[in-house]
Amino acid sequence: MAYIEIENLSFAYDNKTTALQDVSLSVEQGEWVSILGHNGSGKSTLSKLLVGLLRPKSGSIRVDGFELSEDTLADIRRRIGIVFQNPDNQFVGVTVRDDIAFGLENLCIPREEMIERIEEYSKKVDMFDYLNKEPQQLSGGQKQRVAIAGVLAMRTDVILFDEATSMLDPEGRSRLLQDMKRLNEEGGTIITITHDMRDAVHSDRIVLLKNGGVLADDSARNILGDKELLEQASLELLLPLELMHTLQAEGLGDDTLREYLWQLSLNG
Amino acid sequence: MAIEFERVNYEYQAFDGKAYLALADVNLSINLEGEFIALVGETGSGKSTLAQHMNALLTPTQGRVRMFGLTISRDTTRDKHVKLNPIRQKVGLVFQFPEYQLFEETVLKDITFGPRNYGVSEEEATARAKKAIHTVGLDSSYLERSPFSLSGGEKKRVSIAGILAMEPSVLVLDEPTSGLDPLGRKALLEVFKNIHEQEGKSVMLITHDMDAVYEYAKRVLVMREGNVVYDGAPSQLFTRRNIRVWNLDVPDVLKVTFALKDRFNLEVPGLPRNRRELLEAMREVLA
Ligand SMILES: Nc1ncnc2c1ncn2[C@@H]1O[C@H](COP(=O)(O)OP(=O)(O)OP(=O)(O)O)[C@@H](O)[C@H]1O
Ligand SMILES: Nc1ncnc2c1ncn2[C@@H]1O[C@H](COP(=O)(O)OP(=O)(O)OP(=O)(O)O)[C@@H](O)[C@H]1O
Ligand SMILES: [Mg+2]
Ligand SMILES: [Mg+2]
Repeated sequence: MAYIEIENLSFAYDNKTTALQDVSLSVEQGEWVSILGHNGSGKSTLSKLLVGLLRPKSGSIRVDGFELSEDTLADIRRRIGIVFQNPDNQFVGVTVRDDIAFGLENLCIPREEMIERIEEYSKKVDMFDYLNKEPQQLSGGQKQRVAIAGVLAMRTDVILFDEATSMLDPEGRSRLLQDMKRLNEEGGTIITITHDMRDAVHSDRIVLLKNGGVLADDSARNILGDKELLEQASLELLLPLELMHTLQAEGLGDDTLREYLWQLSLNG
Repeated sequence: MAIEFERVNYEYQAFDGKAYLALADVNLSINLEGEFIALVGETGSGKSTLAQHMNALLTPTQGRVRMFGLTISRDTTRDKHVKLNPIRQKVGLVFQFPEYQLFEETVLKDITFGPRNYGVSEEEATARAKKAIHTVGLDSSYLERSPFSLSGGEKKRVSIAGILAMEPSVLVLDEPTSGLDPLGRKALLEVFKNIHEQEGKSVMLITHDMDAVYEYAKRVLVMREGNVVYDGAPSQLFTRRNIRVWNLDVPDVLKVTFALKDRFNLEVPGLPRNRRELLEAMREVLA
């Protein structure tokens, strides 16, 4: 059995619209999965269902063998950390320090270790100097970094990033991707929700959502190169791959050039 | 006519009593017409703070901002004779966080709020809302929804629609495409470009998307620690400068162009600004 098993999951916010319709997918331990799809396709809804912030209309979610319910909620939240799309919704503490501490307190981490982790992770995202500031008094990218530090510090088995790079500067984005890579190499399970195709390059597998349903679920390489599929999902090909497709269609360039463009696209 | 920053400092007052200098001696002139400016720079460098001075939501702690015949300084907000409201209609600001801009019960009320506030009739405001919601890629069924029950990208689109419906003279857009899907991102950048080209209006775009900067902007401002450290053409910035020290990156289109040159000695004429131009150049070289 996979680490996360989602079966026939459906959800509606009200009786008019269905946000998710019969979604089934699984994530293995140590896997890196990207979830992509147009605005309103159901990505954030799925992530909220996963940690019990919303209740499914039908279907089931199982994490590490626990079926999600009132009774197992705490067990599941110890296993999955989520960086939410809007960092403002994540903040609970008066200061940045309290905020990072909050998740650790829930995990009953001893005080000594808590202090160490707060220092380690605030430094990792370059926010150590801001520990005494209020989260509301930060710039957009700084808020996003604090939200990331808070979740990284919990060292959960799975970390889900819901558009966590959207407001970072290019340097900050590339550093976070390096951190994700390292976590994944060390055995961590990563789920990234993103609109940046360059982030998806690093994952093992890509799940495409469209209008609340799964449009495709395949290896990253298969999906990134599938022009028609991406168009159906309102996504675009990575630049080197678009170049590759067009040249191929027009009979221009050779295999070496095409292979090189593939390699370029994998740099992200 | 221009928006002029003269030796502008801005200090945030923290709750612990400490002051934080977010703008440090900014001098800048932005024409009301004909500009397409990208404002870039590392996290926390002062971009959003500067943007909020463009429509007097924030007023300088020291120095002055001059626009539309007004001089805005520290004392301005205390002087009842100075009316800042018209400025907020003339300079439309899209916030980095759409949540700061949405507050009404329905999307329709939210979008019509701005125009109604500046004396546009209800009928006309509703017509503008219908047009604007379409422009941002949502259908009119969204007008009846609550702005709080939307996805992140949908909120962003509604907040942009609200500013477009005010028909301001200048558009200041604080990361308007973050959170948009790739098609939406492209479509909205084209919308801003069309407003700039067809109506001659100035646009200021804050973004971390280097490809958008390179393709759309005529002028780039780079900020670092509250200062404007670069003011010039995008092509110069990306080809001549060591931009990593400012936490910036080279646009993908240039990375690929340079990589092909290095690896295959494929020299494309000129520097392509976007995918289409790169593709055309490649066709020429390979044919
Ligand atoms: N609180 C809510 N009440 C009612 N409908 C909602 C609510 N939140 C989201 N929706 C609707 O549910 C659908 C899925 O929303 P969701 O936030 O999951 O999308 P998303 O894929 O995360 O989109 P984005 O890329 O814009 O973040 C959308 O059509 C949205 O309008
Ligand atoms: N309300 C506030 N109170 C105190 N300090 C603030 C406040 N808002 C912003 N700051 C500080 O001012 C500096 C500039 O913030 P600003 O939001 O202008 O940055 P930015 O360039 O827009 O960054 P980003 O790319 O992350 O959005 C930051 O260091 C931030 O911590
Ligand atoms: Mg979302
Ligand atoms: Mg900002």
